[in-house]
Amino acid sequence: MPPKATKGEYIETDTGNKISRRSLIHGPQHIILGGKTVIQADAVIRGDLFRLAHSTSSSSSSLGGGGGGKEQSGSAAAAKTASPSPSVAITLGRYSYVSKQVILRPPSRLHRGVHSFYPLKIGDHVFIGERAVVEAASVGNHVHIGKDVVVGSMAILKDFAYVLDGAVVPPGMVVPSWCVVGGAPARIVGELGEGYGVEGADGGLARDRYRMVGR
Amino acid sequence: MARPFPYTYISCPCAETPTPDPSAKRTSRDLSSKKNAGQSAASESGEEGDEQAFDPRSPRANFSLYPPEQLLFCEDCHQIKCPRCITEEIVCWYCPNCLFETPSSMVRSEGNRCARNCFTCPVCTAPLAVTTLENTTESHAHQGPWILACGYCMWTTLDIGLKFDKPTNIRIQLSKIYENANGRKASKTVSGLKSSLSTLSSMSEQLPGPDEEGDDGSRNPKEQSQLDHNARFAALKTFYRNQIAETSASPTDPLGSDFGAIFSSPSALNRIMSIYTSSTLGGPYGAAAKKQKSKLPVMREALTASEGLKIPPPDAERFIIERVTSPDCGWDGLASMDQRAFQSPDARFVDDLRPLPVLLRTKRSKRCKSCKHILVKPEFKPQSTRFRIRLIALSYIPLSTLRPLVPSPYPGQLPSSTTSPSISAPSLDALEPSKPIQFLLTLKNHLFDPVNVTLATPSLTPGRVTSKITILCPQFELGANSDVWDEALQNATATADRSSRSGSGFEKVAEAGKVWDKGRNWTTVVLEVVPGTLPGSSPRPTLQLGGKKVHDARETSDKWENTSPLREDEDVIEIPIFVRLEWDSENQMIEQPMGKGQKPETIKRELAYWMVLGAGRIKSEDASL
Repeated sequence: MPPKATKGEYIETDTGNKISRRSLIHGPQHIILGGKTVIQADAVIRGDLFRLAHSTSSSSSSLGGGGGGKEQSGSAAAAKTASPSPSVAITLGRYSYVSKQVILRPPSRLHRGVHSFYPLKIGDHVFIGERAVVEAASVGNHVHIGKDVVVGSMAILKDFAYVLDGAVVPPGMVVPSWCVVGGAPARIVGELGEGYGVEGADGGLARDRYRMVGR
Repeated sequence: MARPFPYTYISCPCAETPTPDPSAKRTSRDLSSKKNAGQSAASESGEEGDEQAFDPRSPRANFSLYPPEQLLFCEDCHQIKCPRCITEEIVCWYCPNCLFETPSSMVRSEGNRCARNCFTCPVCTAPLAVTTLENTTESHAHQGPWILACGYCMWTTLDIGLKFDKPTNIRIQLSKIYENANGRKASKTVSGLKSSLSTLSSMSEQLPGPDEEGDDGSRNPKEQSQLDHNARFAALKTFYRNQIAETSASPTDPLGSDFGAIFSSPSALNRIMSIYTSSTLGGPYGAAAKKQKSKLPVMREALTASEGLKIPPPDAERFIIERVTSPDCGWDGLASMDQRAFQSPDARFVDDLRPLPVLLRTKRSKRCKSCKHILVKPEFKPQSTRFRIRLIALSYIPLSTLRPLVPSPYPGQLPSSTTSPSISAPSLDALEPSKPIQFLLTLKNHLFDPVNVTLATPSLTPGRVTSKITILCPQFELGANSDVWDEALQNATATADRSSRSGSGFEKVAEAGKVWDKGRNWTTVVLEVVPGTLPGSSPRPTLQLGGKKVHDARETSDKWENTSPLREDEDVIEIPIFVRLEWDSENQMIEQPMGKGQKPETIKRELAYWMVLGAGRIKSEDASL
C-alpha cells in the first residue's frame, strides 16, 4: 500500500514532523512547524526571507506555539539580525502536507519605498499539491491547494478554501471560507458542501495522509 | 471538480421520485410503511440485481450523484437530501474581498456589490489594490494621489485616467468622478425636464405628429449626450411606469389591466379593484365604460431624451468601425465579450472599461423542501466557519473509502521510495484490462448504534465497457460509534494492527463470504474488479468479449458501435453499489411512530441508497493515451 521508503527518506522530529532529506529548507531557524507536518522531497521552503528587524519589533512568537517544535538545526542565523529571537518567516500548522517541488515563500511588499517580507502563516490540515508556489500572507485551516497552483503575494486563503489544480490566485486576493476558486486569474467558481473537512471524508484526510508517509 | 481515483458518489433518492411528495416522505418514518416508491423499487432491484440497477453512465445519473460531503440528512424525513431537495434562505450578505457584512437593507441600493474599497479588474477579474502613486520613503500622513492597480495583469486606473484623493471610500469617489465626467448639467437637465415630462407626455399623447418629432430630433443631440447610462435607465423606467399607469387607468379595460399585471404589480391592485367596481357598476354603466376605453391613450415609446430616448449620432457607428480598424487599436484594444458583459453597453474598447465593485456573496441556511426543517444553519458572522445546525449525511450514513489491495503476485511493482506517496501501488489511472484487481472497501459507521449493511452490485458494470464486479462479503455488521476518546485510544492499536497486516499482507488472501478486516466501528470487505477491455484498442479481444456481453442489447445488435472509438470517460470503471442499512435506534422523536409491535424505546430503521465508486481508469492498449 504505501510506498516502501528507503530507510531514512524522512527525518522524523520529536513532534512528529516528517521532513524529506531531499527537501530544501532555507533559514530553518525562521520556520515553525506545528508538528506532524509532512515536507516532501524537493520542496523549497524559504525561511531565509524574513523581515529585517529595523525599528519594528520583531515578532517574538518563536516559542514553539501550538506545541510546535522549532527547527533549529543547520546553518547559523543570518549575521545581519543576530537577535536572540529571530523573526518567524514561515509557520506551518499540524498535519499540513507540503508535496514535492512545492515552493513556500514569504510574501513581500513594497511599503513606503521599503521592500520587506511578511510572515507566511499556514494553518492546520492544509494540503499543498505538487509544484505549487505559495506566497500567501495566510492560509487557513483545512485549505486545499491543488497541484501547479500559484498563490500570489499577500493573498489570504481562509479556512476551508479550495484552490483547484492549476489555478493562479492573484496577489492580494481573499478567498472566503467554503469557496472553490479556479482558473487564471482565480475566481470563485463554486462552494464546498457542508460536510467538507469532516474527519475521514474529503478534506478531512490529513491524518491518513500523514500516517501513510514514509511507510 | 474532477476527483482523483478512487472516489465515491452517492445517489440521492430524490431522482427516483420525480416530484417531492411530502406525504410519501412522511410515511417513510417508520418501517412498516417505510418503503416508499423509490426506495422499495431500488431495494428490490438491488436484491434481485438486474433490470433497474443504477446506471452511473445514464445521462440522468449526473443529476442525482453527489459527493458524500455535499449531501445533507433530514432527521424528520429520514432521508438523504441533495442540493435539489432543499431550499435556501440567505443569512447574510458579505463581500468576498473584505469579508464585511452588508446589511440586507443596503444590498439592493448598492447593486449587490461591495460599497467599500473592493474592486475587481475589468480586464482580468483579479482584485484591485489601492496603491499610492508616489512611493515616498518618508512616512508622510499625506501621500500622493491613489490609484487602483491590478496585481495580475498590471492594469491600473491610470490607464483610463482615474486618480483618487483618498485611499478610502473609493466607490463614492468613483461615482462622483463619473458624475462629473457626465457634466453637472446632465443632472440638472434631467430634473428640470422631469417637471415638464408630464406635460410633454400628455401633449404627445394626443398625436405624435411629424412636426413634433422633428422638433425632438433637433433638440435631442444636445440632451442625450448629457444623460448617462444610469440616468437614462431611470428615466425610461419612470416613463414606462407612467405609460402603464395611464393606459391601464380604465378599470374595465381587460387588456390594459392585464398588461399592467405583467408589467407592474401596483396595477394588479387596480385589476382587483376593477373586479369590484365593474361587478357593481357593470350593468348600468357598461356602455359608458366601453366608450371610455376607446378614449384611452395608446401606449407609446419614449420620444425625448428626458424620457430616456437616445438617438445615436449618425456617425457613431462609423467612428467605432474606424477605430476598430485603425492600427493603434488592434485586437488588444477591443474589449472581449466577457469583459463587456459587466460593463455599460456602450463599452467597446479596453479604454471604456471601468473597475467593478466586487459582487457580494451570501451565507445561506438550508431547509428540507418537504418538511421545512432546517438542515444547515451557519453562524451569522461572515468570517465564521461554524454552524449552529449542520445535519450532514456523513454523520448518518457510513463513510466509505476504497483502496486498492496490493496485488501479491507483483512484489516487483512496488514503487521505490522516490516515487509518489500515493497510497496505491497500482496506478488507478491505468488499470490493466481483464486483469483482476482487488479493492478494500471500508465502511465506517458514525451512528451510535450498530448497523447491518447489505451491499449489492450488478455483476457487470453497465455500459459498453463492462467490468466484472464481485463483492466477496456483501453482508456484514458495522460496530457502533462511541466516544471520541475511545476512538483515540483504540486507534493506536488499530493502526498498529493494520500496519502489521499490510506488512504481512502478502500472506493474507481474500476469501469469499469473509470480512477482510474489522474495527470498532468500521469493517473492510474485499471487492474484486476485472476491468473490461476497451473497444477500439484491439479488435480481437473486443469481439470475444462481445459474445459475453449479451445483456446489452445495443451492443449485440450493433457491432459497429462496439468498435467505435471511446467516448469521454468510458474507460472509467464506475461501480454502482446498492447499500442497505438496518439498525435499531432509540426513538428520539416525540411523536410515536406506528410501530409494528416493537418496544417503545427502540425503532427499527432502514436506509437504502445507491453509491457509485469510481475505481479507476482502464489502460488503453495503445499506451498512447
